[in-house]
Order: sequence, then C-alpha cells, then structure tokens
Amino acid sequence: MIKNFIISGSGGQGVLSIGSILANIFMLDDLFVTYCTCYGAEMRGGAVNCEINMSDKEINTLQNEKVDFVIALNQASFDKFISKVKENGTMIVNSSLAKIVKPRDDIKYIFIPFSEEATKLGDIRMTNSIALGVLSKILGNFKLENVKKGYEKVLSSKTELIQKNIDAYLLGHNLK
Amino acid sequence: MSEKVLLKGNIAIAKAALNCGCSCYFGYPITPQTEIGEYLSAKMQEKKLAYVCAESEVAAINMALGASSTGAKVMTSSSSCAVALMQEALSYAASDELPIVLVNVMRAGPGQGYIFPSQGDYNQATVGGGNGDYKTIVLSPSSVQECADMTYKVFYLAQKYRNPVILLVDGLLGQMAEPITIKDNPYPNIDNSSWILNGAKNRASRKIHSLEPNPSILEERTLKLHQKYLEIEKNEVDWEEYNCENADYIITAFGSMARIAKSVADYYKTKGLNFGVFRPKTLYPFPYDRLRELSKKTKIFFDVEMNLGQMHKDVCQAVSQNSQIFFIGKPAGEWLKQDEIIKAIDNIFEGQYATSI
Amino acid sequence: MQQVFSIPKSIKQNSTFTFCPGCDHGVAVKLIAQIIDELNIQEDTIAVASSGCSVLLYNFLDVDCIESPHGRACAVATGIKRAHKAQGNNKFVFTYQGDGDFASIGLAESLHSALRGENITAICINNTNYGMTGGQLGPTTAMGQITTTSQSGRNKEYHGFPIKTAEHIALCDGTSFSARVALYDVKNIVNAKKQIKKAFEYQKKGLGFSFVEILSTCPTNWKLSPQEAHKKIEDELTKIYPLKVFKDVEND
Repeated sequence: MIKNFIISGSGGQGVLSIGSILANIFMLDDLFVTYCTCYGAEMRGGAVNCEINMSDKEINTLQNEKVDFVIALNQASFDKFISKVKENGTMIVNSSLAKIVKPRDDIKYIFIPFSEEATKLGDIRMTNSIALGVLSKILGNFKLENVKKGYEKVLSSKTELIQKNIDAYLLGHNLK
Repeated sequence: MSEKVLLKGNIAIAKAALNCGCSCYFGYPITPQTEIGEYLSAKMQEKKLAYVCAESEVAAINMALGASSTGAKVMTSSSSCAVALMQEALSYAASDELPIVLVNVMRAGPGQGYIFPSQGDYNQATVGGGNGDYKTIVLSPSSVQECADMTYKVFYLAQKYRNPVILLVDGLLGQMAEPITIKDNPYPNIDNSSWILNGAKNRASRKIHSLEPNPSILEERTLKLHQKYLEIEKNEVDWEEYNCENADYIITAFGSMARIAKSVADYYKTKGLNFGVFRPKTLYPFPYDRLRELSKKTKIFFDVEMNLGQMHKDVCQAVSQNSQIFFIGKPAGEWLKQDEIIKAIDNIFEGQYATSI
Repeated sequence: MQQVFSIPKSIKQNSTFTFCPGCDHGVAVKLIAQIIDELNIQEDTIAVASSGCSVLLYNFLDVDCIESPHGRACAVATGIKRAHKAQGNNKFVFTYQGDGDFASIGLAESLHSALRGENITAICINNTNYGMTGGQLGPTTAMGQITTTSQSGRNKEYHGFPIKTAEHIALCDGTSFSARVALYDVKNIVNAKKQIKKAFEYQKKGLGFSFVEILSTCPTNWKLSPQEAHKKIEDELTKIYPLKVFKDVEND
C-alpha cells in the first residue's frame, strides 16, 4: 500500500525538516520510502516543498501526478498544490496563513492555525512540528520512539530544539 | 555499518567513495551534483586527503588524470554540459590506461539546458565525446542503494581495467533520498605497482603518454586497447530482469526510469497483460546478447527513456528483426510519469503510435 | 686527468636530442638534468610534459614522466603532487611547457596553480611562436613579428598584445619564485641554471609555486641561423621580455 505526501511552505518554516523527519520515521518503521526535496525552479523565491512516498513494497512510482496528503503551511502552497490532492485525499492547511476556503468538494480539509498554536507554545518555529503531529494522528500512531529518533537524526546539530519539537509534535497529535 | 540511513544519491556516492579508499577528489560546482563535492570537501580535509576546488571542469579532470597516474583512487563528479568539457581528458585517460572515476549526475540539455532531471547523456557516456577508438565503462544505478553499491564497483572496474569509468546518475536519483545500508567495499584492491609513477627508484623510469609518432606502434597500441574492450564486453555486462521470462511485452529502460517501468508492468499485470522490464546496469558494455535472446520469445518492446531515443538504437541493434520496438520518451522537463507511459502504451495498442509524448 | 664534462646521469643513456639545430630546448633539458643530479632527486621526480616540442622531454630525461593534454600540465602536476601527498609521499613534480601551452591554452590552469600556491615547479620555454606546428602566432609573439598567421607582422588591431608571463605569475600570492632567463651566451646559461635550481629548491622547501620562463630560440620557424636567432634574443627579445627575477619570497 503506497501513500504519498507533499509538504510545502516558505523558506524558514521547516518544511524540509519535517519532511526528512517523516521519511526517517517511515524508514525506522521498516517501510520503503523515497524523499525528494523540491528540485527545480520552484526552489527560487522562497517557496519550499518536498515529496515523500511510503510503502510496504519497493517504490517504483517515483513521481506522482497526485498525492494522498498535502500539508500547506501558507497560502501560496495551498494555491499551488490544491490540484495535486487525489480524490478523497486530504489537504492539511495552516489557517493562520491561509484562508479557509474549500475550492474542491472531492477532498477532505483540515484547517488548523498552526502558527498561532506555535506562538501559544512560545516558539513560532514549532509550526511545522505541530503540523507533523496532526498528520501522524490521521495516519495512525507512529511509535514515539521512532519519532524521537527521527528528530534526533534530523536535528543532530540543534539538539537543544529536539525536546521542544517533540512537545509540539505531541500537541499537534493531541489537538481536537 | 549495517544501520539503515536516509541518504540522497549524491551523498551515498560520496560516502561510498570514501569508504572504498578514494583519496583524491577534484571538482567544480554544478547543479545537481554539487553535494558530492560539498560533502567530500569537509571529510577529505579532515582525513588529509587530496581535495581541490578546481578552476574549471577541464582542470578537475586533468588533476584526476595526474593523480590517477600515482595509483591513487581518484574521482571527479560533474553534470552533463560540464562533463562535455571533460571529454578530451577521458580520451587521453583511455589511451594512457589511467583509472579515473567520473560521476555524471545528469541535467537537462542541450547546451546549458536546466537543472531538470534528464537521461540525455546516454550517448555522451556510451559513445563518448572524445577522439579516437576508445571506450568508457558506464554504469547506471536505479536506486540510492545502487548509487552506493555501484560506486564501489566503478572504482574496482577502473582499477581492474585501467580505464576511465562513468557512473551515470539520473538527476532525480542524485537528489532523492532513500533508506540505504552503506556496506563494506566487497572488491579487492588491484596491484598497480608495475605501472604507476612514484619515482624511478630501483627500477627504470616510466613514461605515460598518448603521443605516438610511430604508425605501427600506434596501431598496435590501439589494437591492444580494443582487445581490452572486447574482454570488458565479455566479462562485465550486467543487467536486471523483472518478469522477463515468458513476457509478451518487455519495457527496456535504464536508471530510475526502469523503476517507473516496473510500476507500469505491475499495472498491466492487473489488466491481465504479461509485461517484463529489462534494465541494463552496464550501459557500456550493453547487454546485447541477453536482449537478443529474450527477443526470440518476446515480440513487442517498449523502450522508455527520459530523452528522445538514445538507448533506443542499442535496443534496436540487440533485438531480432522479427520484433517490434516502440519508443516512448520525452526531453527533460517534467519527469515522465507512470500514467503518461501507460497512456502512451495504450495509444500504441490502439494503433496511435507517436515517437514521443 | 680531471673530467670536466659528462652527460648528466638523469639524461637517458644513448639518447640523441631530436630538437632542431640551434634550438634552446636541448640546453634547457640538459640544465634540468644537471640540477636533478645535483639535488639528488632523480628517484623522486615526476615530470609533466605537454603538447608541442616540449613533450619530447620524456624521450631524453631519465625520470618518471607523464604527458598532459595541451595546456593542462599544471593541473596534471597538481593532481600528481596532491595524490602523492595524500599517500604520505613527498615527490618532486615539475612541468615543462611551451609558451603556447603555459600562457595561452593553459593560462587558467597555470595561473590558478600559482594562485593556489601549488607546491610544484613550472618551466616555460618561450620561443614566441607555436613551434611544432610550423611557427604560428602565439601568446608571446612580439609586436611586428612575422609568423605564418601574422604574415605582415603582429599588430594590435588584428592580434592584440603579447603576454609577459613571468611578470603575471609574480603577481600571484601563491608564487614563491618567478624569473625570466635566456640561453644566448655562457653567462646567461650559467644564470639560467642558477635560477632554475632555485625554483627547484623552493619546491623542495615547500614554499609554493615556482616558475622560470626561458627565452628560447626557434631558428627553424624564425628562419634564422642559430647564431642569428641567439642574437635576436639578445638584441630584440630581452628588450620586450626583460631578464629578471620578478619574485623571490626568500629575498624580497
């Protein structure tokens, strides 16, 4: 069973960090995974996105026309990737930075003000981890042990931020 | 060593190179392969190995040429339009019988093109852009794991045959991360004491040169090189088959495109059609014989490439005359996706054949 | 009886120079061989010859040699020097190039080796034309000089100006030594040997890029006798290309 994800936002929102952490969590769960950081003209102008495929079998569909999940951390990402969500797929939106509108009726929407939640937590930089926590809840429980390892791998040069991020992840996971 | 790590193809190549004793790297930045040089710049300085930020790709490959004459394991990496600049030195290295490893993480051409992923350098790598009767061994990985494993192999083949070897990597693979295991280098070191330049101490002085004003010696030398290429063709052909035995249709593809081809074959299996995928792992030497053998049973081939038909001519040369070969490809830009290939094959089934989509 | 002259040990036994009569390449190669003997580095030396008449070096000099593609000698030498260093060996590496090789097609490689302070030595034979191909205009062809591709003489409108190589190399921070010498009489030959030896010694001391440009004759393409060719260097070329040490880190 293959599932695919796009995470998108602007530079500095930690898009690639949570993308890489998500890919590591899948890897630690012994799943097949491919992780592509956005590669091309879109890199310019501050937009950042990455694409992740996860499966219990070898992954051969390396590039997808449409994906199961999109996390959009700002309005530009929402506008750009709304059409990339599969029918019955899910659009997870940072409603602090994007309008609550539903241009398609064949997909699911989750609007959460991630930036505000992060500010409440005391650090706007935690926006991304809250979003990852929300995604984890939809996907079913990740092993917390693997989540921790994922953060440790990716944030190995910023160890002081690991616990803070895991707290934010858990906050996202427990929202609603 | 056996722990899984999530790595980009570029980093996997750099790590494997260090692991198998690469002591010299010379390079010049170009997207999408720059991470190889960035990674090695830090690690090699730490280990007091040879790393030079060369003034150009021309200088980089010539530094590699000099370094390889000392018997060191030597690598340079670059991309498409800049690999074009290196062709002269590859011809020299082949003539001088010097082992150089060149990693080409392909981008789109012709000319400067762009950093989009592409497979446009099949001809450049396998046919070569240098002068004279020479060959370069070319390996093509299709996963990040293979990027690492084949890095070990290209160093080994370069030393074994004293010949330049190219690792031809799709831009997609250089930039994509997958969980891989960095294994130990499985290949032995090759004794090079009979030819390296390390000072004429207790032996006669040696000279390494391609200039040869004597016509019969030049002819003899070129024939000797040719014999070596025949030996490489006999010994080193490598490929992967995916459900090819008894397949009614075979998709030929190289690099990461072969994986997308597998997903296409899987799709047709659900429709009750018997599709196989044939992937050359060595582009030179090309697995002509095996493909010819398969074409005795399979009559329809689809050659899928992220270019306008470069491996296509080798596939045509390989398969029997009774087979039909359809080409599906497109120039670099957006990567050719599973559903586009399926649509093209469906169109072919319906008799609407176009050479590219 | 005292022997006052012998063929240097670092010249190959039974080899005969194939340079044209009156060409200074033969003198330059002999000086280099003598210096290699005197510094006792024959067993540690790797020479890089390049395209043009200079490539013939490897037929005469009895040390390990590699031929580099045209213009790339300094890059090839960089690779050799660094690769040996990475393996824990300190080898003596020098290039032997023509002016077209060093200062035209290979200018980027030459200049950047000097800028990096690459611990190698480069010897550049400046005979003001492309000799092996029959005397075409090169980077050092003097203003007014007639060659097969400047048949009415070099002029600034068509051909631009020649390069003063040793002066340029001296400007590089990584250069330890840069000098121009000539070989038209005994006094100059003795001085040339002194400067080349210094350049070699600077590499041995690890001081960085050392360079000697040698003003040399090309009687065949200049269409002059050997005597006339040497006189031309003395009277004309040394006015354009002064004989001088332009940089010497130990004495500046």
